[in-house]
Amino acid sequence: MTAGVMIVAGALAGVGGAALGALLPQRLRVAGAASLIWVACALEAVAAIQVLATRQPVILHSAQLLPMTGVDIVLSPFGALFVLLVALVAAPASLHAVGYARHGLDTRTAAAALPLFVTSMLLVPQAGSVATFMVLWELMALFSLMLVLVDHARSEAARSAGAWYATLTHAGAAFILVAFLMLAAGSSGQTFAAVAHHASRLGPVVRGSAFVVALVGFGSKAGMVPFHVWLPKAHPEAPGPVSALMSGAMVALGVYGIVLMGYVLLGGGPGWWWLLALALGAVSALYGALHAASSTDLKRLLAYSTTDNVGLSIMALGVSGYLAATQHRLLAALALVAALVLLINHAAFKGALFLSAGSVQHATGTRDLDQLGGLLRRMPQSGAMFLIAAAATSALPPLNGFIGEWLLFQSLLHGSGAGSTAGDVAIPLAVSAMALTAGLTVVAFVKAAGVGFLGRPRSAAAEQAVEVAWSMRLGVGVLVGACVVLGVVPGAMLPAVEAAAQSALHGMPAAQLSSGLDLQLAGVRGALAPAEVAVALVVAFLAVAGLRRALARRPAPRLTEAWGCGRELQTARMQYTAASFAEPVQRVFDDVLRPVHDLDLSHPAESRYFIESATYHSTVGDVVERGLYVPVIRALRHWGRIARGLQPGSVHRYLGYGFGALVVILIAVAVLG
Amino acid sequence: MTGSFYASALEIAVSVVLLAAMVTLWRRSVRAIVRSLAVQGFGLATVAAVLGFHLGDPGLLVVAALVLGAKAVVIPYLLTRLVRVDPGSRETQPLVNVPASLVAAGALTFLAFAATRSVTAVVPSIAGRLIPVGLASMLVGFFAMFTRRKAVSQIVGLLLVDNGVALVAFLATSGVPLLVELGASLDVVLAVVVLQVLAVQLRTRLGAFDLDQLTELHD
Repeated sequence: MTAGVMIVAGALAGVGGAALGALLPQRLRVAGAASLIWVACALEAVAAIQVLATRQPVILHSAQLLPMTGVDIVLSPFGALFVLLVALVAAPASLHAVGYARHGLDTRTAAAALPLFVTSMLLVPQAGSVATFMVLWELMALFSLMLVLVDHARSEAARSAGAWYATLTHAGAAFILVAFLMLAAGSSGQTFAAVAHHASRLGPVVRGSAFVVALVGFGSKAGMVPFHVWLPKAHPEAPGPVSALMSGAMVALGVYGIVLMGYVLLGGGPGWWWLLALALGAVSALYGALHAASSTDLKRLLAYSTTDNVGLSIMALGVSGYLAATQHRLLAALALVAALVLLINHAAFKGALFLSAGSVQHATGTRDLDQLGGLLRRMPQSGAMFLIAAAATSALPPLNGFIGEWLLFQSLLHGSGAGSTAGDVAIPLAVSAMALTAGLTVVAFVKAAGVGFLGRPRSAAAEQAVEVAWSMRLGVGVLVGACVVLGVVPGAMLPAVEAAAQSALHGMPAAQLSSGLDLQLAGVRGALAPAEVAVALVVAFLAVAGLRRALARRPAPRLTEAWGCGRELQTARMQYTAASFAEPVQRVFDDVLRPVHDLDLSHPAESRYFIESATYHSTVGDVVERGLYVPVIRALRHWGRIARGLQPGSVHRYLGYGFGALVVILIAVAVLG
Repeated sequence: MTGSFYASALEIAVSVVLLAAMVTLWRRSVRAIVRSLAVQGFGLATVAAVLGFHLGDPGLLVVAALVLGAKAVVIPYLLTRLVRVDPGSRETQPLVNVPASLVAAGALTFLAFAATRSVTAVVPSIAGRLIPVGLASMLVGFFAMFTRRKAVSQIVGLLLVDNGVALVAFLATSGVPLLVELGASLDVVLAVVVLQVLAVQLRTRLGAFDLDQLTELHD
């Protein structure tokens, strides 16, 4: 089968999955849809691997499929990497969905929308023309919105999340369309090749504004601050597998769009474009990490962490573009590789984390960390996998998160001395922002893992949690396995990433990462041996365990309650809660987070000097939402109310409007004509 | 038909159309308003007939007969039936009073002439010069719809607009194909029938032909 046939067959399999989801009886719906999602993922992935291996793009064209413009599919090595990324998340997520089905995914609408959502994500990076891209992009937004809204009948929060997501993604699509139109106006066709050819002859003002407009549009999909507000609303409300797909795969396509615009269509640009991207990426990373550290809702925490990770990837992209603009092409290629590696890693560990969060919600019915605890003992496999994925997100070696951040650090450190003054100021700042981000991320995930999975259960629901079905565990397991493999043997993915980066950067040298077991950067000093690190860690672990056993004195020590402090037994209420763990971070970053503290003291009737009980609540809202979006919404509502005064229901008034407009137009014609 | 006779006949017929439109604003009695609509339909038919004789186009004469039948006889008859339900109905309180309406009509006529300068410059014939009158009739009709309260006056206003459009069509193209005029006339007659039904419904429900009553449906 040629790659072209596989692409078409994969798309058809996805549509067939939707048909199965809509037609099968309720018990089999999700399983039927998921099986065809695997077929679609497998076919598209094989086509993508073939393209990455041969480095020859596959080009398909159909004039019949879309009226006026036709459909253009161009699978370049760069797009192929993102097809693989989507497949990497989609296959395990749909496996997990089979076990998760009864939480709203087994309605006809949801079971049909899931395969279509996956298919549109698989096809977006293969779009070869403006019209094809916009159609697929909007289909992706539409089907994901349907999946966010599965719980709309019961949950007001889901309806509100849907409205936020729809508004921001729609506004983003409008920006993207404007950016494309700025470049495509006057070009000989609307295929990306023709647009890129035309864009190279445009003036700097048009090119610059097109890039900024596209950065806003794609940034709203990628969850870049200040367009991230939909993430912490939509991710928690969507079912677990859907939020894994949205966070792992769809958000990465936002970054794909920025690379598509900046490199593929515009062929790179002046330094200020990329320093802007670097700044927005750094702000997103910091802001996301900070909010993740102070969230108490598990999925909200993961959603903010998504903003954090995408911010890092956009930072890497910004550094890459800046270095390309200052003619450091080898380093630029290295930074682009870092950006792509960060996205792939993020897909693996954040997919695993969101699926685990889905498992937790399935087992306990809640995602509030303050209601959880002690889950590691009750769900040993799911818990262990969550801990591994959390360690990967915190960028601990030997897991994959470390590789991406190491590459980003290397490109930042080597890029800092080389370039304009603005860059020399910006890049060291970015390094420190990244360091702070890394620290806050660790705080967030120590909290998520420690409060959620260790200690004692804080509620009856957590007490009675049982291990979830094998399909859900296997779904998470595949992604956790990917985290380990990509961390220990990054050489497995680097050739593909290099091929993709080289196809995005026309005529630039490949980032030569001599990748066997070791990672050796060509052109700059820098090497890493992740496999050896892993072996060393395992050896050290075994040595400590052995030493402890050897040194332990036989007769076994007597077990008593530690730190009993005179109490008979310890209760779950004596542990850290998510809120109390985050309190120091909130206190330090009070000016940014603006938490609302609520301390209720009740006194006995006899004296106000004694306290009978105290309850403490602290809620952290989103400053960007409060400062940027709420005033706009309020103004719109105000004008809407005024506009309602225009329609009092009087026929004469309405006729008068028409008459007045006609007279005004005629007067204008009389004066001007 | 000699040139000068043709010119004066056309001018007189067109003036009848505009004057009839003005009269609908001047008279208060609904019966008189319907009568002036019939006069306007007669004027419009005359315009078509004069053009037909001048151009020697028998098709246009058929159109003239059609216009005469539809706009001077059938539609006024239908509206008279509507008036008979409520004889002596008068526009007692138009939103803009009669003298001011007439001044406004004058201003609208002036506006029509000013706005169509570029059109009349392109069509230099006698018929072309008169195009603004059609626009003026349209504007007056719209003004009547906007300011008059009775349902019948509003229907008449709508028909004035339609007659104005038809007049512009006649003058600008020197004759409308029969098929087009047939369609347009049928359309208008049907519209009047529908509006008549609606007006009767309005009266049975609200006890008056007064459109302001409809605001009670709001909220």
